[in-house]
Amino acid sequence: MKRDRDRGKSEAAAAGTSAGKAKMWAEQADAGMDELFAVLGYKVKSSDMADVAEKLEQLEMAMGTTAEDGVSVLSTADTVHYNPSDLSGWVESMLSELSNFDMVSPQFGGGISGESSSSNLISFSNDTQDRGFNFNFIYDDDLRAIPGGAILSNNHKNDSDNGNNKRLKSSPGSEFLDNGVPRPVVLVDSQEAGVRLVHTLMACAEAVQQDNLKLADALVKHVGVLAVSQVGAMRKVATYFAEALARKIYKIYPHDSLESSYSDVLQMHFYETAPYLKFAHFTANQAILEAFAGATRVHVIDFSLKQGMQWPALLQALALRPGGPPSFRLTGIGPPQPDNSDALQQVGLKLAQLADTIGVEFEFRGFVTTSLADLDANMLEIKGSSVETVAVNSVFELHRLLARPGAIDRVLNSIKSMNPKIVTIVEQEANHNGDVFLDRFNESLHYYSTVFDSLESCSGLTQEANDQDLVMTEVYLGRQICNVVACEGVERVERHETLTQWRVRMDSAGFNPVHLGSNAFKQASMLLALFAGGDGYRVEENDGCLMLGWHTRPLIATSAWRLTPE
Amino acid sequence: MALANVFEKRANKFCINDNMDVLIEILKRLDDRSLGVAACVCRLWCGLTRNDSLWEHLCFRHLSPPQEGVRTVVLALGGYRRLYMVCVKPVLSRLRVGGAAAELERRVWTRHEVELSLSLFCVDYYERVLIGGGGGGRLGGDSAAPPSSLMFLCKAVNV
Repeated sequence: MKRDRDRGKSEAAAAGTSAGKAKMWAEQADAGMDELFAVLGYKVKSSDMADVAEKLEQLEMAMGTTAEDGVSVLSTADTVHYNPSDLSGWVESMLSELSNFDMVSPQFGGGISGESSSSNLISFSNDTQDRGFNFNFIYDDDLRAIPGGAILSNNHKNDSDNGNNKRLKSSPGSEFLDNGVPRPVVLVDSQEAGVRLVHTLMACAEAVQQDNLKLADALVKHVGVLAVSQVGAMRKVATYFAEALARKIYKIYPHDSLESSYSDVLQMHFYETAPYLKFAHFTANQAILEAFAGATRVHVIDFSLKQGMQWPALLQALALRPGGPPSFRLTGIGPPQPDNSDALQQVGLKLAQLADTIGVEFEFRGFVTTSLADLDANMLEIKGSSVETVAVNSVFELHRLLARPGAIDRVLNSIKSMNPKIVTIVEQEANHNGDVFLDRFNESLHYYSTVFDSLESCSGLTQEANDQDLVMTEVYLGRQICNVVACEGVERVERHETLTQWRVRMDSAGFNPVHLGSNAFKQASMLLALFAGGDGYRVEENDGCLMLGWHTRPLIATSAWRLTPE
Repeated sequence: MALANVFEKRANKFCINDNMDVLIEILKRLDDRSLGVAACVCRLWCGLTRNDSLWEHLCFRHLSPPQEGVRTVVLALGGYRRLYMVCVKPVLSRLRVGGAAAELERRVWTRHEVELSLSLFCVDYYERVLIGGGGGGRLGGDSAAPPSSLMFLCKAVNV
């Protein structure tokens, strides 16, 4: 029974986490609470025990009749899920307090299917929409900051005030209004386990920060146990972060030198599943297109060619521009392949075929290098600005240079010597490059939770072929998570920085911002409207740059730059 | 005797298949679903409805004036019928959630919608023909199933 598992888990946790982060509820003390139940989070008055026992009997009956498998009953599509925090006062609080929401109580969202409860990440908003709706609806996927949040603390056995302040106040009361008698229902507490999960993750990170590896080890294992009780995005995120933490604890560092062809494949799936890369490509292309207005020979330098997915759309737009297409030259840069095959050349060939089909004069050169910093502008054989107009494009590449000191400055200098008309940069909008591990961890937990959440909506009505896409996308993101959390020094290449930080860097390197314009904004908005789950995505304009985010959280940012005129 | 008269009268009646220009004029005004239905009538009609210029008309009948050079590009990338099925129809139906199906025909394309559809179509071509299909095992050519990158257009939207 879940109850027993819960008790076992919380006891194990209590034993292991004497020094975990303590967040306390300052709440009215409820006297007479049964302490054992309080540890589990049930506010049960000792006087009500008989009542509780009776309800638990009903619960057992319900579980027995509705499922073959005792575990899966908790998440099958047929069952009704309720928050069990207040068993004895349940019916009265249902009826009388339907209109009162506790300011800080976590959002309740019951799920009737495993899919939908997945998006119910910890949220602490006082979301009153719930009232009118069926309890089945899930929304509000923000992973808000935990401080002050409900906690079932593992280390407050002696605290009789304990218990979270959650009250069940949503519309399940309507069930009761009908027949006035509480139905036997299955009580699931995934909400609570989710909160506990996040807290345990953060406690583990803190333990790692303090170099308390034994504690961290215990916590990481606990995370594994808790993660199993979750579904969907929360579970996946927790699993990846737990794995990354485990690597850090045991010092089994993953190598970044995973075959680049494999990572290309992963990125292809990411391209197909989620709109982030498409947004990046379309907005960057729009900026490049506008910069190329009137030019007859153009040269694009792509810092990470991969499969060249960005360029067909640009070629098509150039082919159809009034006045005819320019002569197009592409320089693609990529890492060396393990089997020494010339992947860059193959991509170049395909693009040449496409260009030929639509009638654009095309030329391609590929450069293989392990790091952009090793590249010399002279090697690229850029013709003077009177001959060709140059654009430099970097999608998710520049942050990798921050791993080596001085590399980014070298690269920015070589960009300047290329004399580009426009430089387009797309980067993740997050600060995963802080000096303090704990800060990095928290930031990335928030960031990737949001990303995974957005993916859940993308896959809502998925066809079979797309399940593989989704899985590969998650692996792609999982590798990033692993790198941010587990690696250090030059191995840690996923050093994302925010747009503000990049702005400072570009400004001091001698670049002026170029505003992206309304065409890019409109096209991006339209593109996002086409995606299922498009309601969640937001395009924002930020002082000339465009950001794509999920609900209120921006996730990637496109910016454009030109050289400061002398 | 009476029967022979009936047959004779029938022989003098108007037969649409003998008047192809009229037939084409009528087909030009149909929407995509009706064209599909029409294609099932007989082999002649099937051939006619597959004619790309009908679909060009369907795609851009309200675009004024049609952009020069678009036709060459579209034909090179797979033709108007494919453009309609893969890009135009989903773009229109997604971006105009409020309207009924019949309204799709009457609304005017905006420039941005055209550009977006064409870009997506080009990406479709690149993936399908050059990269060889991300989904694996999908037929190229006439098949209506788009490659992976455009699968998001196939998914039903939460309306």
